[in-house]
Amino acid sequence: MMRGLDWRLALRLALRDLRGGLAGFRILILCLALGVGAIAAVGMLRSAIEGGLSDQGAIILGGDAQMNFTYRFASDPEKAWMAAHARKVSEVVEFRSMAVTADDRTLTQVKAVDDAWPLLGVAGLDQGTVAAALGIQNGLPGALMERVLADRLGLKVGDTFKLGLQSFRLGAILTKEPDSATAGLGFGPRTVVRTADLAQSGLIGPGTLFETDYRLILPPGADLDAMKAEAETAFGDKGMRWSDRRHAAVGVEKFVERLGSFLILVGLAGLAVGGVGVASAVRAFMETRMATIATLKVLGAEGRLVMGIYLVQVGLIAGLGVAIGLALGAAVPVLAGSLIASLLPFPAQFGLYPAPLLQAAFYGLVTGMLFALWPLSQAVRQGAASLYRGAAARVWPRLAHLGAMAGLLGLFVGGAVWFSGSAMLALGTLGGVFAALAVLALAGFGLRVLARWLARRRFVDGRPGVRLALAAIGGPRSEALAVVLSLGLGLSVLAVVGQIDANFRASIARDLPSRAPSFFFIDIQDAELQPFLAGLKANPAVSKVENAPMLRGLMTKINGRKARDVVGDHWVVTGDRGITFADTPPPGTQITAGAWWPKDYTGPAQVSFAATEAAEMHLKLGDKLTLNILGRDIDATITSFRKVDFSGAGMGFVMALDPAAVAGAPHTSIATVYATPEAEAAILRDTSKAYPNVTAISVKEAIARAVEALGTIATATVLAAGAVLVTGVVVLIGGAAAGVRARMQEAAVLKVLGATRLRILASFALRSALTGAAAGLVAILAGGIGGWAVLRLVMDLPYRFEPVSAGLIVLGGMGATLLAGLIFALLPISVRPAQVLRGSE
Amino acid sequence: MNTVLEMSKARLTLKGNAGPVEILRGITLAVAAGESLALIGPSGSGKSSLLMLMAGLERASGGSVSAFGQDLTRLDEDGLARFRRGNMGVVFQSFHLIPTMTALENVAVPLEIAGAPDAAQRAREELAAVGLGARGGHYPSQLSGGEQQRVALARASVPRPKLLLADEPTGNLDAANGAAIMDLLFGLRDRHGATLVMVTHAPELAARCDRVLRMADGRLVAA
Ligand SMILES: Nc1ncnc2c1ncn2[C@@H]1O[C@H](COP(=O)(O)OP(=O)(O)O)[C@@H](O)[C@H]1O
Ligand SMILES: [Mg+2]
Repeated sequence: MMRGLDWRLALRLALRDLRGGLAGFRILILCLALGVGAIAAVGMLRSAIEGGLSDQGAIILGGDAQMNFTYRFASDPEKAWMAAHARKVSEVVEFRSMAVTADDRTLTQVKAVDDAWPLLGVAGLDQGTVAAALGIQNGLPGALMERVLADRLGLKVGDTFKLGLQSFRLGAILTKEPDSATAGLGFGPRTVVRTADLAQSGLIGPGTLFETDYRLILPPGADLDAMKAEAETAFGDKGMRWSDRRHAAVGVEKFVERLGSFLILVGLAGLAVGGVGVASAVRAFMETRMATIATLKVLGAEGRLVMGIYLVQVGLIAGLGVAIGLALGAAVPVLAGSLIASLLPFPAQFGLYPAPLLQAAFYGLVTGMLFALWPLSQAVRQGAASLYRGAAARVWPRLAHLGAMAGLLGLFVGGAVWFSGSAMLALGTLGGVFAALAVLALAGFGLRVLARWLARRRFVDGRPGVRLALAAIGGPRSEALAVVLSLGLGLSVLAVVGQIDANFRASIARDLPSRAPSFFFIDIQDAELQPFLAGLKANPAVSKVENAPMLRGLMTKINGRKARDVVGDHWVVTGDRGITFADTPPPGTQITAGAWWPKDYTGPAQVSFAATEAAEMHLKLGDKLTLNILGRDIDATITSFRKVDFSGAGMGFVMALDPAAVAGAPHTSIATVYATPEAEAAILRDTSKAYPNVTAISVKEAIARAVEALGTIATATVLAAGAVLVTGVVVLIGGAAAGVRARMQEAAVLKVLGATRLRILASFALRSALTGAAAGLVAILAGGIGGWAVLRLVMDLPYRFEPVSAGLIVLGGMGATLLAGLIFALLPISVRPAQVLRGSE
Repeated sequence: MNTVLEMSKARLTLKGNAGPVEILRGITLAVAAGESLALIGPSGSGKSSLLMLMAGLERASGGSVSAFGQDLTRLDEDGLARFRRGNMGVVFQSFHLIPTMTALENVAVPLEIAGAPDAAQRAREELAAVGLGARGGHYPSQLSGGEQQRVALARASVPRPKLLLADEPTGNLDAANGAAIMDLLFGLRDRHGATLVMVTHAPELAARCDRVLRMADGRLVAA
């Protein structure tokens, strides 16, 4: 396309055109800088959060890697393997228990540690050292507690309390737990003790629910992938679970995953918004060059020379704008970093990340070239006379140029896919953006038709302000389409982000089960089960009691193949699950396929599986599952599917086994109790006095914990949404700035004809309001569809249209644009007409 | 004699790239009602600037400028805009039509701004008077230069201003079109009895005026 072009001549002419100073290019540079800055800033935020998660990964995890077991300590071969591979090993036991004082008791998540804890990071205490606080004084072992827990129990440092049968002295208040990720979405606040001190507590034994984590410090340069594979091959089918610093946040995996997708989406949203800024800036700039292009043609310049000159020029100016934008993008997170970090519930690492800067530069230049090429190519095909006259460009660009644009577009899409690291998300988002642009183009076209129709109505007669506004929208050289496109896309992106954000937060309130039980009781021993249930059932405040025996186990294989290989990361196989057993279907069971085993069945093990999960995992009747329960493998055949509701906080087991399959395995029972809220305190007091080893979990507290976890995501989304919002508004303001020149001309002519400033301003406002309304309507639609797609398809969360968020965001965006438009109109209407009119003589 | 326009030691200084530029260096003149005045002089001598000052499109840096007894230097932007309504019509060398409006709409706008109830009808008549009755629906980009200037002329004259200001109205046109515009311009003046101030390069056009003033280097010089 550029063959035979004298590039030196093009460069010389381009530079000569620039020599008059950068005044005429200020708006272009500003808009480019804002667009690129938006992309860079959002990218930097994303990197900061990701960097924080990976940098802190090892500390959150408590080691470079961790091997986790359910119900048991590591076996000798497992310990030997760890000793052979790690430089240091630390053992941590986790379980739930009741912390008991003379007159109070409450649930706590106990972390029992060895002398090596914490392997990484530092535990924050209100006084003394870990060793002193946990050490034995006057025969009493020490413990650390979170402040909330100590306060709830009315404990001060030095006071005593009991875990099971063992008394402890509160040695210090735990202000910061370095390896907090393992708490995950656990229940209840934290108590830390030494494992050795629990020997007499009666809390850790066969059948009780506990987990052990072995934290490993690995030699430098250890190959995490290879070690993971080796450990999983050796111990994976014995219930060992591996995690390492790359995916530290055990138990918050889903959260990190959702946040990760959300951050990618935010990056792409920033790209869309910034891209719009760059595009409209270059387009507006090219329009100001048309007369010069015409003159060049008159003077004998060929199309390719014209192309060369302006591509060089756009390249040079874009380079400058991109550089400023990068500085902006780099400065914003550095300056606002500490503020943002204080809002985030997890560590973010702010700094200069080169990758997002390079990406922003790439996007800025590609977008700039893409949007310069189109009007240039049109100009090259058009006669000089029609260029002078500013006639609407109706010609199509040349085929070769269309090819080049397609190439640039491909580069852009490819870049988005490559940089985001998720082809699905990137293509989905860009697909959504293009769909939104198509709808917006329709809306812009419709608006122009409407404006032309309205202009012919009688009510316009005698209203020059209205006429001017309608003419500006419906007439030739209208900016309406471009404004609807850029404003509409910006608002759409904001609306989608707003929908996601609002849904996250609404889901916290909405998804709380309304018919949740008051308590879960766990660790009920067989011998005490009947009196325990009888006592509760006798209580008139109790409306319902459900109970089931429970063991925990990990599904390791499906039909002899590794379960993870068959169903990937389905939640049923990612960790140990509660498994129940029963010889007859529990009351209310709905069998959807197959049949329950006969009473007193003793043949090969059978399992009844939750229907919905089975369908997700493509399980069929007759499939064979290998379950690791307490280190023993059980091969069970699926003989029925049944309906299980996991949505409420009631009892739900994915798998139910026939009793003979687990005969002799130590187990406990779990019970859910539904009672009136007023009776809850008494029930807790009575049951825990009578059955000290039974752990009660208040569902309210569990829900509060879940709310906290969801709140974390909500904070992150608010923050990310805020970033997109701010950059979006800035880009919209840039768009308003781009129209200053045209406004000036209009205002000058209207003043010659006797119009006052107020009248001119009102007309500009009406125009903005009309285009804004068209853009806003589309944005609300896009917000609904986009929000649904992201939440349902990407985040796997329920979606409901949030009209308040959509309305506020769209109105706010329109308001900001209107305001920006008016502010940028103040200059045009206050300039003396002579200056403007003379400039265009 | 009834004076419509009066200037006394009017000065104009503009900030150029290399510091302030003295563009008008003390202009004193008076224009009588019904008079037609031609401003001539070399390019860059300040003719357009003087016209802008008369129209209140530029603010004098010193001296006084008054029209119809109103001191223009005492009016703000809006006051000037309102003052122009019905008092002044301006025609430019490069037309300055509103590109988004049709010819008819362009002509109707000053009437609408002034709040005239029959704007559309009067605009149609005025457009017909300049020979463009059939082109009312066309946009400026669909009109030739001569036609655009005729629309501009109709737009300037339709509110029946007492003072018509024209800055090289034929400068962008060929001889035939230029002559037609001139005929229209003088026809309008004769019909409605307006005062006319016109900047021109062409001596034969200047000769059609009652009086000729020559400018050089920001000053009025002997004609
Ligand atoms: N905005 C401006 N800043 C500085 N100088 C200007 C400006 N506009 C015009 N001039 C200068 O003022 C002088 C008079 O210009 P003008 O009134 O247009 O002259 P004429 O119409 O007689 O050709 C010229 O020398 C011109 O360069
Ligand atoms: Mg001039």
